[in-house]
Amino acid sequence: MISRNIYRWELKRNRSSFFVWCLSIGTLIVVGMAFFPVMIQENIMKQMAAFFETGIMKSLMAAFGATLESLTNVLGFYCTRNSQFIQILGSFFSIMLASKILAQEEREKSAEFLLSKPVTRIEVVSSKLAAYFTYLLMLNGVILVIGFISLELFKGESQYRLSSFLAHSAYSFLLMLTFGAIGLFLSLLIKRGRPTANISIGIIMGAYFFDALSKVTPAADKLGYISPFKFVDSSVMRPDYGLDWWRVLYFVGATLVLIGAAFWIYKKKDILV
Amino acid sequence: MKVIETHNLSKYYGKSRGIVDLNLEVEEGEIFGFIGPNGAGKSTAIRTLLGLIFPTSGKGYVFGKDIVKDSKEIKKHIGFMPSDVNYYEKMDVAELLRYSADFYDVDCDARIRELADTFALDLNRKILDLSQGNKKKVSILQSLIHRPKLLILDEPTSGLDPLMQAKFFDLLRHENQKGTTVFFSSHTLSEVQKMCKRVGIIKEGKIVAVEDIETLRKKQLRKIQIEFMTAAEHMKLECPGILSPQAQGRELSFMYAGNMEDLIAALVNEKVADLLIEEPTLEEIFLHYYDDQNESGKEPQIQ
Repeated sequence: MISRNIYRWELKRNRSSFFVWCLSIGTLIVVGMAFFPVMIQENIMKQMAAFFETGIMKSLMAAFGATLESLTNVLGFYCTRNSQFIQILGSFFSIMLASKILAQEEREKSAEFLLSKPVTRIEVVSSKLAAYFTYLLMLNGVILVIGFISLELFKGESQYRLSSFLAHSAYSFLLMLTFGAIGLFLSLLIKRGRPTANISIGIIMGAYFFDALSKVTPAADKLGYISPFKFVDSSVMRPDYGLDWWRVLYFVGATLVLIGAAFWIYKKKDILV
Repeated sequence: MKVIETHNLSKYYGKSRGIVDLNLEVEEGEIFGFIGPNGAGKSTAIRTLLGLIFPTSGKGYVFGKDIVKDSKEIKKHIGFMPSDVNYYEKMDVAELLRYSADFYDVDCDARIRELADTFALDLNRKILDLSQGNKKKVSILQSLIHRPKLLILDEPTSGLDPLMQAKFFDLLRHENQKGTTVFFSSHTLSEVQKMCKRVGIIKEGKIVAVEDIETLRKKQLRKIQIEFMTAAEHMKLECPGILSPQAQGRELSFMYAGNMEDLIAALVNEKVADLLIEEPTLEEIFLHYYDDQNESGKEPQIQ
């Protein structure tokens, strides 16, 4: 089902971009978390409590999924930051890699070479997906390790539950995976593998915006469900915080449906080079 | 055994025509020329055979296997050279060839070195830095390293210098003698006539003729050029078999498919300054097929 040859080459060709993403996201986590002890020490949050209670700020905080309580806890602080950039950047990485693995071959016309080799279409998709999946897992592994180290390094007096951290990290991974599946699916609808980077960025920012809007405006609450971000539970301060089955089901289900559709489309697709 | 066989194979891209009811048979061990002008459907036919695109209707078989269902099995024994060579730019030549070789269960290392020597190809260069001609050489190598039973070549000589073309043709003949069937697509007949025994002529997606090169030559078509004493423009020669006459000044030229005696009889009463009778090149015979088909939609009238 998987061609080791294609898998190996796909890993190799995306290696350097993977390292750049790892390095950027890793650095941002550490730098971001380094602010936590400073803020606690200076009591900045407490001083600004009144300001946060004003109308506009309250809405803004809600849009970013932040509460005063969460910002003064190390894990709360980490996850608020998490939803700001780790999830967004990770989703960018995921959607761009996934939408590239097949489309780039068509765009650069190397698909003619690849598909004249003894491989089935299914093998091409599954081998490339395996490489994508490997990198997404590795990126999330790196985020997990660096996140954990930063939490331990900067927590000071603040305490957190490891299981909440792991559950939140799992949500981030599932979110990125879902965006990857969306990217792969869309890339196959486009003829001759035209680049989809712009569309990818638009999808993620759009989804993020809808989610933020639904948090601020109760009337728009339902609208938020068109965004995968809505399905990430960011209330890490809840004592019973963990993975909800229906949220996991949404991510896994959406991913499987989209990837299944991608296999089906690619199996029948005319490769026009 | 028939290596390639298609039955009414058709491919439409939406409403636009690719190939229409293509019926082809290529025998094992032959070098088959596949000739047609640009846009006639040569590449469409080849891509359908390779499973890059899927037929709209009809059936195709390679090595007796279905081109849609058994594509992977078929491709184990095919070497393919596309008309435009496009590879992964970041790879170097050796990497690309190894990548290509790893798809087959054959050890290709010695063969790669041997062929790289023959074609004076530097294995350490990046694909990105290669000229079109050098890319073409890489393409030759990747199509041959696994010793395929069938070579499908889509305009293989474009971009190759004459010396390399000669080497390439030698290599093809050599491979053919060892039993490899060659399917050679081209828009220039003169190139194919050196190599092939039979040619299929494709036009607007349809096969118009499949002929032995020798038969094509023996069609007795003559290229005739007459210089008259007076202007040739209003000259009417009463003679059947004159095809597409062209008059310029005192000169009249045409293809002649009729009886030589008739022509001489028709010229007896004319004032002829000069007469040139030549055997046309295959190119000209071939062009004729097209012209005549274009005008009348029937088989050309050559006896």
